[in-house]
Amino acid sequence: MDLSTVLLASLAGSIAAPFIVARTGAVGGVIAAALPAALFAYFFAQIGAVGAAPIIDVVPWVPSLGIDLTFRLDGFSLLFALLITGIGTLVTLYASSYMSEKPPFARAQFLFYILMFMTAMLATVAADNLVSLFVFWEMTSLLSFLLVGFQSEDAKARKAALQSLLVTASGGLALLGGIILIGIEAGTFSLAAITANPAPVLESPLLPAIVACVLIGAFTKSAQFPFHFWLPNAMKAPTPASAYLHSATMVKLGVYLLARLDPVFAGAPWVGATLVAFGGLTMLIAAVQALRAIELKAVLAYSTVASLGTLVMLIGLDGPVSSVAVVGFILAHALYKATLFFCAGIVIHATHETRLRALGGLAKLLPLTAAATLLASFSMAGLPPFIGFISKEYLFEAKLESSLDTIAVLIGVLVNAVMVAVAGVLALRPFFGRAKKPFEVEHGERPGMTLGPLLLAVVGVTFGLVPSLVSYALITPAAIAIYGAPFEVSFKLWHGFTPMLALSGLVVALGATLAWFWDPIHLALRRRRAFDEVFLDRGYDLVLGRTLALARSSTKVLQNGDLRVYAAVVSASVTGLLAYGLLVGEGPLLPAVAGEPVRPYLLVVCALIVAGCVVAAAVPSLVTAIVAVGLSGYGLALVFLLNGGPDLALTQFSVETLFVVIVMAVLLKLPIVAKSSRTPRERLFDATVSGLFAAGVLVATLWIAAKPFNPELTEYFAVTSVPEGFGRNVVNVILVDFRALDTFGEIAVVAFAALGAWALLRTGSSTKRTGKEV
Amino acid sequence: MRSLILTAMARIFFAIMLAGSVWVLLRGHNEPGGGFIGGLVGAAGFATLALAAGVETARRALVLHPVVLMGAGLAIAFVSGVPGIVTDASFLTHQWGSLAGVKLGTTIVFDLGVYMVVVGGVLSFMFRLYEEDAA
Repeated sequence: MDLSTVLLASLAGSIAAPFIVARTGAVGGVIAAALPAALFAYFFAQIGAVGAAPIIDVVPWVPSLGIDLTFRLDGFSLLFALLITGIGTLVTLYASSYMSEKPPFARAQFLFYILMFMTAMLATVAADNLVSLFVFWEMTSLLSFLLVGFQSEDAKARKAALQSLLVTASGGLALLGGIILIGIEAGTFSLAAITANPAPVLESPLLPAIVACVLIGAFTKSAQFPFHFWLPNAMKAPTPASAYLHSATMVKLGVYLLARLDPVFAGAPWVGATLVAFGGLTMLIAAVQALRAIELKAVLAYSTVASLGTLVMLIGLDGPVSSVAVVGFILAHALYKATLFFCAGIVIHATHETRLRALGGLAKLLPLTAAATLLASFSMAGLPPFIGFISKEYLFEAKLESSLDTIAVLIGVLVNAVMVAVAGVLALRPFFGRAKKPFEVEHGERPGMTLGPLLLAVVGVTFGLVPSLVSYALITPAAIAIYGAPFEVSFKLWHGFTPMLALSGLVVALGATLAWFWDPIHLALRRRRAFDEVFLDRGYDLVLGRTLALARSSTKVLQNGDLRVYAAVVSASVTGLLAYGLLVGEGPLLPAVAGEPVRPYLLVVCALIVAGCVVAAAVPSLVTAIVAVGLSGYGLALVFLLNGGPDLALTQFSVETLFVVIVMAVLLKLPIVAKSSRTPRERLFDATVSGLFAAGVLVATLWIAAKPFNPELTEYFAVTSVPEGFGRNVVNVILVDFRALDTFGEIAVVAFAALGAWALLRTGSSTKRTGKEV
Repeated sequence: MRSLILTAMARIFFAIMLAGSVWVLLRGHNEPGGGFIGGLVGAAGFATLALAAGVETARRALVLHPVVLMGAGLAIAFVSGVPGIVTDASFLTHQWGSLAGVKLGTTIVFDLGVYMVVVGGVLSFMFRLYEEDAA
């Protein structure tokens, strides 16, 4: 089966699933989980093939712009695909049990978002074309928004959802800019082609701009400093979504992209140094915040931010070992962090208590959850024989082998010690610690909810004990895919007595000490309010607040509801732009006007138009003014008619007629002779603005007329209209055939504008609500 | 203020203008005309009827609600582009065939959609304006 077919099936299944879930009870979740499970089986079956060569499926999309839907499955994509579908299966099962008290509609809606997210995520990691990757990337941002704000009756959830969307989507815009620059420089959007030949991008003078744009995109998505604040806030999402999107998969997309582009950026050492700096800073901030966090999920969120920082730092380091470390850590982290989130969800679901320090003594009530948490936190702490241990050994090896070893190792030891402490506190406190008050467990452990964490935790041990299970099948192809060249990968548990082992020992010792003194450290750090100013989302609030204030004040000035101000602003801006163009542009202010024989009948028509304008501006009676404006309009239509534009003339005639009919309806409500509300000064201003506007338009028109007319388009349409459009009226053929999509857009605009006017004119309400106006 | 002459003539004007608008719509591909102009003329016809015989009469003559007409027009214009996707892999590439010696294309369907949007759009708020006036 082609990759595109598989993705299409995933999309179809995700759309069908909510209808099944809404109509079935507890079984619905199991049926829905069949979709990710089947996809997992498909990707699992591809392991052998991908090890030999990437699977490629080309689907054309917009060939004229070099955009296609080429899907390419190599080792790194496959690792992500397996994580997405594997954890996706467990999340679906978990969520349908977690949400079983919710009404069927909410349940179906939630699973729909989760499955759609899975599809978008699969497409993102399988996309080879950067533009299509961006499209799927943004789809994941949108679904994240919907999931964070899922409890939409909660104002905090809505705020967090908006924040995550604003941060990731504005980063996405930067990323799009970076992608377009890359495409211009490389001449292709294909990731495989760009990484195979990085020279055009590396040697481009635009490289700093490209790097800045891509990094902003990746940092916002993967919650790196200074955008780290949105991820902990996104914990307002229901726990299954947190486990899936905000820990195991989506937030790793930034890391994914950086790793993908690493073969290109490795040629510029300063990019790697930047990544190490931002990754390191993120790790430190997240470590401090993890120690300060109160809520169970917030602690997990900050430890996720620290892990993402670690990954960014690893990508910034040079040497092939860092590729192995990145891949190993992605796998290990997804396994243990998803487990911990699942378990946190079970605890919160059962006790309705979200604060870490309030929990205790739950091992008796939730024994399976306790076991899974214990296993996962051992892996997180990097204890042997868990996969977390192996990945941490590689982490330190990559740091020691790189050219930035001192600072990287120092930050690594500090932050990992905090992670050990967090792991210890998370595993011991809620389950084996003393409870402040005895807990009533509302509902015990449900099979749907305990299956996921137990399975993942056991997988974490198994991979640690028998690393050969993943070493050749997953780790090696994935590491080679991001390193860009084949090399020997050894992913095993025991490396002998190495500096890495010593560092691991140091980290565990430090972490154990931290865990022992958790309470005093936690309280002391909490008291330091200064951290809140620096580490939380104050900067975001400031930027958002200023933007909204600017919007409000500019609206107050430019759109104050007075039509005269609107007209003045529009004509003044147009005049200003015209004047700028005329003054700055080359040549004299006025073009040489070619002599043309004067056509007397045109003069008569023009006199009619001018007379209409003067009368409209001068008379106090509105009815007379309308008739005068109509006179100008008919005059203009006559000009069109006399110059060979019958379609335009016909339209103008009809519009003028309808204009009078419509305005009459409004005028019937107004006094026939209105006393002018404008002071002489205001009228002088109006006259000046309109006079300058008219002068500007006149000069611009003269220039347009002076330029030699390019007949290319006219000739093209004249020649092709009959054979290709089967019509002799070129104007109409252009409207309905050559440029039909434009026309379709225009009628849509007409429809929406009319809909707006229609809604505003609801009988009886307009005069009351707007008061003095109308 | 009802004018006897206008009221008496309105239905005749209305019929002539509506027929004229359809004629303008149909001839558009080869002679001056088309959906936009036809739609404007048609809307003017209904406006005449509304002015002379009241909005209720005009609404009954239109049968459909103007907003519905507008939406239907958009939908029809959209549908006219679908055969292009099926045959030529490009939306709104019009298809031509001949029926009993007369050449027919999906362009006329598209133009009909434009016509309906213009008529519906103009009338949707114009009827309201005149209704408010009566109230």
